[in-house]
Amino acid sequence: MSKSAKYPKKELESKEKQLSDEIFAYRSVKISGILGGFCFVISIFFNIEIINIFMNKNIFLDIVDVSIKVATILLFFFFMMISIGNYKELIGKPSDWKDLLILFAFSLGQTLLNPWVFIFTLLGLILILIYLYIVQEI
Amino acid sequence: MKKKNFKVMVWILVINLSIASSLFIINGTATETIDPKYGDTPVIDGYIDSSIKEWNKATKVQSSLGDLPIELWVMQNNLNLFICVQFDLLPEYHSATEFIGILISNSSSEDVENFIDFKIIQFINITKDEFDYFDYHINNSVFQDDTQSNGQGGAKLESSTSIYEFSIPINNNNDGQFSEDVFFEYGTSYAFNITYGETAVYPSGIKKSEIVLINIKAPPTEEKVFINIALLISTIIIFSVLGILYGYYIYKIFKLKEKIKRVRR
Repeated sequence: MSKSAKYPKKELESKEKQLSDEIFAYRSVKISGILGGFCFVISIFFNIEIINIFMNKNIFLDIVDVSIKVATILLFFFFMMISIGNYKELIGKPSDWKDLLILFAFSLGQTLLNPWVFIFTLLGLILILIYLYIVQEI
Repeated sequence: MKKKNFKVMVWILVINLSIASSLFIINGTATETIDPKYGDTPVIDGYIDSSIKEWNKATKVQSSLGDLPIELWVMQNNLNLFICVQFDLLPEYHSATEFIGILISNSSSEDVENFIDFKIIQFINITKDEFDYFDYHINNSVFQDDTQSNGQGGAKLESSTSIYEFSIPINNNNDGQFSEDVFFEYGTSYAFNITYGETAVYPSGIKKSEIVLINIKAPPTEEKVFINIALLISTIIIFSVLGILYGYYIYKIFKLKEKIKRVRR
């Protein structure tokens, strides 16, 4: 018995679309997860101060140092949020504020050693959350 | 007779000018106030070893001795104040007998009579990295050798950069043992006159100088040290937990892939 006989054409098309969406979502989970991991590794090196080549040399290099630290944490938060959000969609449990709060806390936890990084990361995270809230509402 | 008089006049003029210029060089106003940070004791040898993060925690300021731009690094621990002076000059402009000295005031006052201590690193032959460290006491503008030399100095010429490192004791117990040196008290500012010269004659050999104020900081309290350690440990714990969770998440992604494959089949 052929497939077309078993399933109506519309249902088949819908299933194919669902499958294609799943593939896309899975790819997004994977790529965003890898990018988030990459940012996490860079964040380890800079925020635990294993790499401190820019630190405490002059004001310009201090700004570069803080920018790298803040950027890696914000990108980590951004990519991991996309990845976890899509992952939760795929397993049928949409992500809630708890996931967001945990990720927020872990992102901010990376900044403890530098008050400037803490302040700018906090501001950045709030801006990302506001942006996402607006996007969702629209 | 006239010729003799003329010679005497010229000599008087030269002596007056040299004294006036040395006073002019020593006198001045502080351009920077530096708050040194607490850091690990550097090796005072004129070489900055970045592999062991030497001078890493120093307060670093860019200043100038007249028209000579310098890099000034200041750091301290409970016992010593560390000062590093660096400047770039083309090799042909480096004098074989150049020196960097530090005139230290007994307070934040920048009056000449308050500068009672002079630490100096004098190159004997800069091309061979041969230098001497001297500790002078200034008594009524007369430079006298300290009976007991305190502190350390090291210098090196690295291509075109001269590096001078000083270690100056912070005499916390004012028992008169080091009466020829300035007693640094925690929480007090002192004027330091950084001087540069090319001939081993003091003070007339001083060609350029700049006064900076350095605040001698009290040692960090145990509470502060504890907070810093606690923050470091917390950060390491957060990164470790995050690393484990990330590994678990990647594992779950692979599992999800298998699940999707199964559903597709």
